[in-house]
Amino acid sequence: MDYKYIEQLIESYFSCTTTLQEEQILRSFFSQEDVPGHLAQYADLFNYETGAKAETLGEDFDERMMAQIEATELKPMQAKAHIVKLTTRHIAPFFKAAAVVAMALTIGRAAEHAIGEQETEENSHVVAVDPYIKSSDVRQAIHVKDVSQAEMKATNDSIINLTREDEIQ
Amino acid sequence: MDFKHDILPLKNIIFRTALRIILNREEAEDIVQDTLMKLWEKRNELDKVDNLEAFALTMARNLAIDRKEKGDNQLVSFDDQVHDRPDEGLGGTDSSLMHQETTSFIADIINALPEKQRTVLQLRDIEGKSYKEIANVLSISESDVKVTLFRARNEMKEKILQKKSLFL
Repeated sequence: MDYKYIEQLIESYFSCTTTLQEEQILRSFFSQEDVPGHLAQYADLFNYETGAKAETLGEDFDERMMAQIEATELKPMQAKAHIVKLTTRHIAPFFKAAAVVAMALTIGRAAEHAIGEQETEENSHVVAVDPYIKSSDVRQAIHVKDVSQAEMKATNDSIINLTREDEIQ
Repeated sequence: MDFKHDILPLKNIIFRTALRIILNREEAEDIVQDTLMKLWEKRNELDKVDNLEAFALTMARNLAIDRKEKGDNQLVSFDDQVHDRPDEGLGGTDSSLMHQETTSFIADIINALPEKQRTVLQLRDIEGKSYKEIANVLSISESDVKVTLFRARNEMKEKILQKKSLFL
């Protein structure tokens, strides 16, 4: 038998001028049992090439892969959990707003209180300057001061309670 | 785009290509999983890809090269793993043992080549891909593919002839 064609193909193979089809012919040729002695040295190479294509993943791969894919399909549920979290974050500004209102009220009251005190001082000043002032007037001034302090405390308490309630909520 | 129908069938070619780069079965399998997963995540953009297989192989190759660089002190070699395959030991005769020995000799030569040569040889001589497809996967020119393949095949030839002369 003449092996010139095969010899030529081998030469072309090593100079990278064979087509895919010719390379397949070489692999088929070497896969047969009786390869002539002078070409036998290349049998292992071409047979390795044929054999290496049979290398595949294990049978359990698909199962594991599909489980992984299905696990990611469940992700939208995790996204829902995120939305819940976002809602909590949405509420936070209201707490802040409540705190700001509480502070504004406190400061407002404190300012009012300070003005009231000033007024009282002025009144007492009047008392000192004018010896004829009625004592009931002084009492009234003191009463006003007391009332405003009591009022102030009550408001503060209710603000604190409100803030606590907000926090509990 | 259906996972089982369009993406999963690429698993074995990705596996063999990744295995040729990383030379470790377990890691190659991880790379297949990562690649298929990434493809699935990008399923809405894959319509624009004209060669899904080449796209997948490029992805897998990049993952494999990254991993190889990270853990290059791997002691488990490609052929240790490959030749653990039960079907190879089935014959049990002297000739099959001889075959196994020489097959691993070829595997050793290929796996000692630089990564680019290994991958080109894998895609051409084992997967039967055209120069154009290989160029696409490696993002190089077709002539670069040819030059790389030429070097790889001639290194093999040289080693085969060396071995023959040793035995004579």
